[in-house]
This record gives sequence, C-alpha cells and structure tokens, in this order.
Amino acid sequence: MQIKFEQFATASMLGSEDAPPRSNGELLFQNAWEGRAFGIAVALAKKGHYEWEDFRQELIASIAQWEASHCKDDPTWNYYQRWLLALERIAIATALLDEQELETRTSEILKQEKAEKFNSQLC
Amino acid sequence: MSDNIEREAYSAARIKALESLLIEKGIVSSTTVDEVIEFFEKDMGPFNGAKIVAKAWLDPEFKQRLLEDTTSAIAQMNFPRGIAGAEGEHMKAVENTPEVHNLIVCTLCSCYPWPVLGLPPYWFKDPTFRARAVREPRKVLKEFGLNIPESTEVYVWDTSAQTCWFVLPERPAGTDGWTEEQLAAIVTPESMQGAAKVEVPTKIS
Repeated sequence: MQIKFEQFATASMLGSEDAPPRSNGELLFQNAWEGRAFGIAVALAKKGHYEWEDFRQELIASIAQWEASHCKDDPTWNYYQRWLLALERIAIATALLDEQELETRTSEILKQEKAEKFNSQLC
Repeated sequence: MSDNIEREAYSAARIKALESLLIEKGIVSSTTVDEVIEFFEKDMGPFNGAKIVAKAWLDPEFKQRLLEDTTSAIAQMNFPRGIAGAEGEHMKAVENTPEVHNLIVCTLCSCYPWPVLGLPPYWFKDPTFRARAVREPRKVLKEFGLNIPESTEVYVWDTSAQTCWFVLPERPAGTDGWTEEQLAAIVTPESMQGAAKVEVPTKIS
C-alpha cells in the first residue's frame, strides 16, 4: 500500500491531470471544518488569548500522542483532527471554554444535523 | 470508511460547537476567522517565495543578503506582514548547489515558513514523511522523482519555532535573459522545500 505522501508524490507532484484542486499552488483545506479550525487557532493567537508557541506545543503533543498509539502509515491519520484537539485543549486550558459546554454543544449540533438529514429524506 | 465519515462529521460538529461558543462569548467573530483564512489564501503563499527566489537568481547582492540575513532581505520585499507570532518570524534560506541539496522537514509537527510558502501540503505533515525524511532523505527524494547523485551531499533541516527553513533552489539552465517575472513563474513550492528541482517547462507559449 502506498503511504499518503507517496501518493501525493506520484499523483500530484508529478503534475498528473487528476491532481487535487489547489490554491496558491497548494491544496489548502480538504474540508471546510479544517479551514475553520485553522482560522480560529490563528485568530485566537492574534488576539492575544495565547502565545502561538503555546499552541504549537499543544499541537506537538497531540501529534505525538497519535503517533505513540498508531503505526506511522495508519490511514486514519488526519492532521486537522490533531489540530482540532490541540485547539480544544488550549481553549479549555486558557479558560476560553468549558469542556462540558463544548461536549453539550457538540451533541446538540450532531442531533440537529441528524434530524435535518432525516427530514430531508422525508421530502 | 464509514468510521472515517463519522469522524469527519464529528470533527465538523465539534469545530462548529467551538466556534459558536467563542462567538457567543464575544471572544472571536466569524469575520475575524474569515479574514485569517482569506489572508492565507490570497496574501501568504508560495508566490511570495517564488519572487524571492527569482530576485536572488538575478541580483547577487540580494542573494548574499538573503542567505546571510533572510529576515531583513525579505523585509525589503514589502510582503504582507506575518500574523502575530505565527510561523515565519525567523526564516532562514539555504542554497542548493551542485555540491549540496537541502530538504526541509518539521519532525515534531508542521512548522513551515508561512509568509513565503503559505501552508504546507499534506505530505509535509504526514507522520511517515516526517520520520523518513530525516532517516533516509535520499530514498524519500527518489520517491519524489528526484535522484540526488552520490557526489552531492544531502542536508535535512528540521524546521522549528526557532527557525523556519526554506530552500533557494538552483536556477535551471536555459533561462538566460529571462525576466524576474518569468523566472518566478517556474519556481514551485516543492522546489523551495527541497522536494523537487526547478524545471523549465517544455512548452513555452
């Protein structure tokens, strides 16, 4: 099995036709939520809620945590899921958010989306 | 696969929850977040690095300054300023020559010179790449389609919060008399990471 960056090397870097869409020559975000996670982390640092270095340390820790429990070529690797975890942790550590309210809001959103999906299937 | 879809849906809901709470608390506005993303899409990207490389190829004095004091050389280019404290405050350019080939990596996470290269491609963040680039750089480069002769030394630069490295690639043959703009157009982000060489396109209109 090819690992991710090898796929990139063979498919995209060599300029094949089916290379993914790019912005500024690089694929920016595969999914919209990744862009939001990125933008929020940078915006909070910019506003002085934490030092960028502190975010970076959280990111290093969350990546290291994944790597300690997975093979390096595990296909479930998702960089922005590690980024999101780092963001949650720093937001909670700096008291911008409470863990419980984040849990509650997440389940509300998932419940709502499930209901919307169900409703749209009825139509 | 369905696990993956579920994880994606969960992550999307989680970030939506996080953002909505921060907005309600007045900590961040969605406009601020939009602006950050837009800034990275429009102002920070490999097109900045390409201009630096093209200028260095044409102007030996600029090139010397770039290699000796990268930050001050870049400051004179009038690029948009970096985002408060984020990556790119301490950048250092390293030159590829027939004797030395440089490759950049961030072994711990994904530090990258944002102002000149934009955001890193996903292979740069891949755990396998990050580990193997240090252990067997020649082999990794070969998989990228780049055969580095034994006579050329390979240096791997581990980018960090202290220093974000980027590569000044070699100017390809067949570009004599080209303008700065023409040269900048052929400089790829991969070449500034050391994962490729700059090639002259075969078809020039």
